[in-house]
Amino acid sequence: MSNKQQPGKDNFTRNLVIGVVVGVVLIMLVPTLLSKQTKSDAAVPTFASAKHGYGITYNAELTGVPVIDIYEDFQCPVCGQFEAAQGDYLESLIAEKKATVVYHTLSFLGPESIAAANAAACAADEGKFLDFHKLLYVNQPKENSGAWSNANLAEFGKSVGITSDKFATCVNKGKFADWVGNVATEGAKKNVNSTPTVFINGKELNRGNDYYDRNLFKAAVERG
Amino acid sequence: MTALKPWIGLISRLTLGGVLLAAGLLKFQELDKSQMAVRAFELLPVGFANFMGIVLPFAEIGMGILLILGAGTRFIGLAGAVLMLAFSFGISWAWARGLSIDCGCFGGGGPVEPGTANYLPKLLRDLGLAVMGIYLFLLPQSKFALDKFATHDTPDQKESKDEQ
Repeated sequence: MSNKQQPGKDNFTRNLVIGVVVGVVLIMLVPTLLSKQTKSDAAVPTFASAKHGYGITYNAELTGVPVIDIYEDFQCPVCGQFEAAQGDYLESLIAEKKATVVYHTLSFLGPESIAAANAAACAADEGKFLDFHKLLYVNQPKENSGAWSNANLAEFGKSVGITSDKFATCVNKGKFADWVGNVATEGAKKNVNSTPTVFINGKELNRGNDYYDRNLFKAAVERG
Repeated sequence: MTALKPWIGLISRLTLGGVLLAAGLLKFQELDKSQMAVRAFELLPVGFANFMGIVLPFAEIGMGILLILGAGTRFIGLAGAVLMLAFSFGISWAWARGLSIDCGCFGGGGPVEPGTANYLPKLLRDLGLAVMGIYLFLLPQSKFALDKFATHDTPDQKESKDEQ
């Protein structure tokens, strides 16, 4: 074939361009890959631990009860439906110490998912995670519409009785941003490909009605 | 026909390069979703799928830019064709196994409602793009490229001589 490349300086520009493009891509890729690793030095909110994939865990100390892992994204509308259908039941299981419940707040829907997950972790430090969790779903806006800015999320705290400046600082500074990343990384390792995803004793709940019908969900939990 | 070849090369470069660049940039916006999209094919081990979900958008952006500029057309054309054939395999695999997933080709991804996956158009698109990549590998000379070939000034005469 006749497309031998000419030697010498004629291809200098081309080689320079290739070098620059490949270099810039690598310079951006490597830190991104590193940032997706679990950060062991991340600030971790109350009730969360590496043992349960960094999820906010209730009744971690119980044995012989079902372990319910919930992977959710505060901006995901279907997660809102799940919360509306099963939220009260899950809270009653927590209050009556009938199950270990782990909330994994994923953030794949964008920046406001990260902000919401961080704010929820701040609320966990105030002992108000469940109230804040419910509040976010009840007031779920359109994805990344600006409604869940840090300033607004800090303001929401007042609706669930959080008045401390510490909470507002925590929300505005993104104190738990690395922790939010860890939750996402652990969820990815668990092969969670959509939200909500529920595991009961480590077994993924069948897609479909089990998520949205109280009796079916309850039966699945009680089967263990 | 020979006069057309560098123009076909240009169209192939801009189409394949444009698609790669757009797909890469969209995935780059939501890397968690990109990882999820690769996992949802159930083709690669989870850890490797998560790695590919991050590497792919960067590779696509780099390849797209180079193809649009016409730098290293032959090699990137081949790499693009291999990538498109890999995507075609993935889509066929998902289809054959009856998975209901969004290919995540342009961002997004993960499971979708059963029956709404619509694999055929995506498969045909990726195969068409693979053909363009193979064309660029075989005939990398094209208009307005940074690549300089020995025959660049008179490609028409040279090409026609080859064919005689």
